Amino acid sequence: MAGLLFNDIFKVKCVNPDGKKYDKVSRIEARSEKLSMYMLLDVNTEIYPIDEGEKILMVLSPSLNYDGSPVTSYSDQEGKKSLADKFEYIMHGKIYKLSDEGSGSDLKVEVYASFGGLQMMLKGDPIHCAKFRVDQNMFLLLRKLT
Amino acid sequence: MEGPANKGCKCATCHANFGDCPGHYGYLSLALPVFNVGYFTTILEILKCICKSCSRILLEEKLYKDFLRKMRNPKLEALRKCDLVKKIIKKCTSLTSGNKSMKCSRCGYLNGSVKKAVSMLGILHYRSRSKDAGVVSEDLRAPYNVSNDILNPFRVLSLFKRMSDEDCELLFLSDRPEKLIVTDVPVPPIAIRPSVIMDGSQSNENDITERLKRIIQQNASVSQELSTSNSQPKYLESWDMLQSEVAQLINSDVRGIPFTMQVSKPLAGFVQRLKGKQGRFRGNLCGKRVEFTGRTVISPDPNLKITEVAVPIHMARILTYPERVTSHNIEKLRQCVSNGPDKYPGARMLRHLDGSMRSLMISGRKRLADELKYGEIVERHLEDGDVVLFNRQPSLHRMSIMCHRVRVMPWRTLRFNESVCNPYNADFDGDEMNMHVPQTEEARTEAILLMGVQNNLCTPKNGEILVASTQDFLTSSFLITRKDTFYDRAAFSLMCSYMGDGMDLVDLPTPALIKPIELWTGKQLFSVLVRPHASMKVYLNLTVKEKSYSKVKGNEKERETMCPNDGFVYFRNSELISGQVGKATLGNGNKDGLYSVLLRDYKAHAAAACMNRLAKLSARWIGNHGFSIGIDDVQPGDQLIKQKQTTILEGYRDCDKQINLFNTGNLPPEAGCDAAQSLEAKITQILNGIREATANVCMQNLHWRNSPLIMSQCGSKGSPINISQMIACVGQQSVGGRRAPDGFIDRSLPHFRRKAKTPAAKGFVANSFYSGLTATEFFFHTMGGREGLVDTAVKTADTGYMSRRLIKALEDLSIHYDSSVRNAGGCIVQFCYGDDGMDPAQMEGKSGAPLNFERLFLKAKATCPTDGHKILSPSEFSKTVEERLSKNDATPECGCSPAFIGSLKIFLNKYVEAQKKSWGTLLADNESDVGKSTIGSSDNDDIVIRNKVVQNIAGVTHRQLQVFLDTCLSRYHTKKIEAGTAIGAIGAQNVTLGVPRIKEIINGAKRISTPIVTAALKQDDNVNIARMVKARIEKTNLGQIAKCIQIVMSSRSALIEIKLDMEKIRDAELYVDANVVKQAIILTPKLKLKHEHVNVLDDRKLRVLPQDADRSKLHFNLHFLKNMLPAVVVKGIKTVGRAVIKEEKDKVRNAKKFSLLVEGTGLQAVMGTEGVDGCNTKSNHIIEVQQVLGIEAARKCIIEEIKYTMESHGMSIDIRHMMLLGDLMTFRGEVLGITRFGIQKMDKSVLMLASFEKTADHLFNAAVNGRDDKIEGVSECVIMGIPMPLGTGMLKVRQRVSVPQQLPYGPPAILS
Repeated sequence: MAGLLFNDIFKVKCVNPDGKKYDKVSRIEARSEKLSMYMLLDVNTEIYPIDEGEKILMVLSPSLNYDGSPVTSYSDQEGKKSLADKFEYIMHGKIYKLSDEGSGSDLKVEVYASFGGLQMMLKGDPIHCAKFRVDQNMFLLLRKLT
Repeated sequence: MEGPANKGCKCATCHANFGDCPGHYGYLSLALPVFNVGYFTTILEILKCICKSCSRILLEEKLYKDFLRKMRNPKLEALRKCDLVKKIIKKCTSLTSGNKSMKCSRCGYLNGSVKKAVSMLGILHYRSRSKDAGVVSEDLRAPYNVSNDILNPFRVLSLFKRMSDEDCELLFLSDRPEKLIVTDVPVPPIAIRPSVIMDGSQSNENDITERLKRIIQQNASVSQELSTSNSQPKYLESWDMLQSEVAQLINSDVRGIPFTMQVSKPLAGFVQRLKGKQGRFRGNLCGKRVEFTGRTVISPDPNLKITEVAVPIHMARILTYPERVTSHNIEKLRQCVSNGPDKYPGARMLRHLDGSMRSLMISGRKRLADELKYGEIVERHLEDGDVVLFNRQPSLHRMSIMCHRVRVMPWRTLRFNESVCNPYNADFDGDEMNMHVPQTEEARTEAILLMGVQNNLCTPKNGEILVASTQDFLTSSFLITRKDTFYDRAAFSLMCSYMGDGMDLVDLPTPALIKPIELWTGKQLFSVLVRPHASMKVYLNLTVKEKSYSKVKGNEKERETMCPNDGFVYFRNSELISGQVGKATLGNGNKDGLYSVLLRDYKAHAAAACMNRLAKLSARWIGNHGFSIGIDDVQPGDQLIKQKQTTILEGYRDCDKQINLFNTGNLPPEAGCDAAQSLEAKITQILNGIREATANVCMQNLHWRNSPLIMSQCGSKGSPINISQMIACVGQQSVGGRRAPDGFIDRSLPHFRRKAKTPAAKGFVANSFYSGLTATEFFFHTMGGREGLVDTAVKTADTGYMSRRLIKALEDLSIHYDSSVRNAGGCIVQFCYGDDGMDPAQMEGKSGAPLNFERLFLKAKATCPTDGHKILSPSEFSKTVEERLSKNDATPECGCSPAFIGSLKIFLNKYVEAQKKSWGTLLADNESDVGKSTIGSSDNDDIVIRNKVVQNIAGVTHRQLQVFLDTCLSRYHTKKIEAGTAIGAIGAQNVTLGVPRIKEIINGAKRISTPIVTAALKQDDNVNIARMVKARIEKTNLGQIAKCIQIVMSSRSALIEIKLDMEKIRDAELYVDANVVKQAIILTPKLKLKHEHVNVLDDRKLRVLPQDADRSKLHFNLHFLKNMLPAVVVKGIKTVGRAVIKEEKDKVRNAKKFSLLVEGTGLQAVMGTEGVDGCNTKSNHIIEVQQVLGIEAARKCIIEEIKYTMESHGMSIDIRHMMLLGDLMTFRGEVLGITRFGIQKMDKSVLMLASFEKTADHLFNAAVNGRDDKIEGVSECVIMGIPMPLGTGMLKVRQRVSVPQQLPYGPPAILS
């Protein structure tokens, strides 16, 4: 799977850090185990409930096809093997902003993406963020690890 | 014969019938001449100047020649000539002023002063009877003989007849003065005084006819009494009566009519016909009744486009448009003609090629339709797409009348899209609106291009958008874009089809949620709304902070899109990235909302189309979704009730504590207040705290579905205060900015104890509207409510009059092709409009800056993808900028103002600096890493990756920068104001605000209510120095610094001894001693004391001796002095009330900065005070600034003051409007108020002045002076009914015409 932009396991630290604002959507604060990235993510918890302390595998990928070719239509998904099969929750969205924080070796990069208004913010070392581009469309795939 | 009296007969003079005879004047010769009241003052003035015997000017020869020479100067304007005449009259009256008499230097006749007789129309000549005039003036007190010589019209007439033409010229009379006296009364024709035939044979005669009847009667009796001749006093009485009758023919409310003749409702005279709002000038010449108009009730229709108006079919059948038959429309018009006037779509009239008209009421329409020829004109019914003007009164600004396209619809109301409510200020509670149908193709074109809704989306007040979504549209958009609205494929597709009429192409976006089920979010719907399909080239980029955006606390980073309330609206390439849209994005009154950006970047059509889509979507969506308000929305929860109870109790307890303190006299006073005031201030503060606290609790506990909460959050209606008043607590009611006043003795209502100051007794309403008000609370609430109503009523009247004055003063100012602002006469008011020649309606940036660079930069970055292109380094960046800005279209010669280029450079430099910083850290990192990196290649890779990442983050490519610079420059050039714009009228519409201070400024008031001089200090960091200067400026009386002022009477002398309180003087740092006091006493004029009367004993003691030696008066004198001395101003400026030290924080030096606020006038004296920095001292008194610093300073002062006042009232108005007003008020070299006196001096035409105020006076004066009017201003052109030289009327086509050969005229042949 060379086409993946990002791939790590997150542990949910907190659900709705700013208090519950919406019925169907919750904001998740999580930290990844491998790359120790910090993440804020809005998830439709009505259809995919997430609780504090759960472990989640998250993948960011530009395509759902294994060969990395762009998804052209929804109809020919049937029967074909797809990345989607292995995940429980998939969103589609776009990276709209990259910004840096701090300086020197402390430099952190923040990656912002919006999935139709559901926000994602990924903060971590610049090295892990090299593949991200502004205006890049991508899929976010989640799977709970038990 | 004056003309036919009724329809039946023919004119005996011109033999035309009733309709064609223009009418002919007759006249009535009077037995004795009478004054013309209109010229009465002129007659008086002339009489003051001439000798009452030889009719020559009273001035001596040299002065006379001098004045005549000045008067004959051909360059002198009429206005200056009038001033000169005034000067001459003043000179002449001064010769005979008081009881002096003056010997005529030519004939030796003794002239006295001439005055208007009291309570009658007559002129008195006070004349001394003593033989030698020279002696009279010597002893004024001596009794003298005065004969009150009445100058009757007959005598005046003979005097005037003998005046020489030269003398007339000197007095600026264009014609012979004897014409000012009426010898024959004109009898106007019937057309001017029509008689109305009542049913039957009764006829109601015109007032003028009635008056003429009475004149004839009176004239007959005068001539009869004259012929009998023996009864001299009797005919004089009749003559007076005749005089008043003739006077009332001209002006029926003239003063000086005998009481017996005054009736309750006087007959209107000619002056009454002309003047006033309903008079000829304002009622019939400046505004006329027109045809092709409709008016009915309005109602909303979100399915209409914003440019459309639905016209009821009944109206469409009556209103017509004359359409010429061509090959394109002949079939349509044939149908119209054959349908006739009653069946839609039909026609009412047919105009044949020869110009004859044919009504289509008749039955032979079929034949007419078949015979329709090209070139004929059919007055057809209105049809879809016709152009109409739509208007709602009051028409306060340009957008109150706009041009719409017709949609003929059933039912009986005029309908339009709610988005257009704002400019008309319309609602649908029964408002009516007017519609006008332009009748020519030219008029239609001009209307749609200049007044079309889509060309007037933003206001010229400050460039904010005015036509924008309102009310329900905001609510539904707000709900749609909520973060937790999700739609499945069916719902989403349905809603996409709501946007249009079902025929539009829509590309569905990829669903935001793909698994476990496909779901789209509301935000994606909004992305579709902005850009429905991929072939649409609209890339919207904007960021807006909504009301709900969570503010950053302390030093936290801005959370922007991650805002937990989703209050940060971010559109990126027409995709709604984040944010719940509300009023700040979609509503009116902002400059970087969605529609503003669409309008600026993709022109009016894109913005209008988007508004249409949103209107349709939201109307249909909210129809399905439902949005209502019920009693449960305003029911407080248990927690709220409990918390409210505790807050109110706590607050009441606090108040009681304060009241107790006050009653025992222990209340610490606040600065500048007495005990009662500070109590009020404290209590008000506590009570406001209560309301706020309860409101906060209330707002926090509401469910997000609460309808009032939603409405207040999205900004469609209501505020948090309204909600908490309904649910929690209504709060303090105020009358005149204070708590409820005492209507009874020592209490507000008899329900309370006397002197009660408790919150409830002074109008605090603890209940909510839901819980219900108690009787007293209700009463207080009505008190507050009434004040609001009265205020609005008064304000409307005030504002209306001010707007009228402003318009009259500014109406003829327009931009010329050299970008100067000139009035109708071509006189320059501004050399370059607003100093940069920009159109205020198109300004994008804050506070009138042409462009919002940040947004444009964002857009340039978003629309030009970075990938694959090289990122510019800071030095490359600067180079590119430099290169672009040295091109031709960025130079001042090509119209780029240096200020604009400067601001652009500042913006780019800021960016470069930031870039350098990040590059700097990176490069430094690099270098330090380079040393290490030779060891392993992995480190090197790291650096490369890091490098790349950082570059991606903030870098700019060459193309992005180029696009940004190009947009900036090209857009700047399109924002130039167009030549011909009537910028004066636009400015006048926007400056209007009914605030007393604005009124003062605009009136150019000589005395203003709060004059304040702001004095900067030379050394502004020391409070002691400030205090010293303050002491120097502030007025100090002797009473304030004296220990005692007492009368000392001894056997030898009686005097007043003054002891100074040196300690006090030193404390106040006044530097005053007895010598200074002595000087001050001597210089006080009222005391009339001289040097020898004041003796200085030592530094602190002085004695004052009364000046009169008269022993009998000594005692009184002493007491008089004792009373007066304490008021002697020892030190300081007399005109100054008090001075306050103002403390400011100086951010640059991080130190306190002091300045002085001096109440009162005396700018010059303050500036001259030692320690004051005169160069930076300002005053808010415009007239004083003009006197002290000159006209340019006054202009600056006007602009600053208006700006300050507007800002403090929360109005943002483009500075260019204020500059124009400032320039107009000062362009004549003196400060002219926008009042009738000021406007008169602004070089305006007589017709314009007559149509403004004092109609008759201006006309009579103009007649005396023989003024001519060039008819170039707006008012004059409107009155005359010709196009005005403004806007599209500014241009005239010049054509080279070969002049036809002039035929030689010879003397007519004697024989032919």
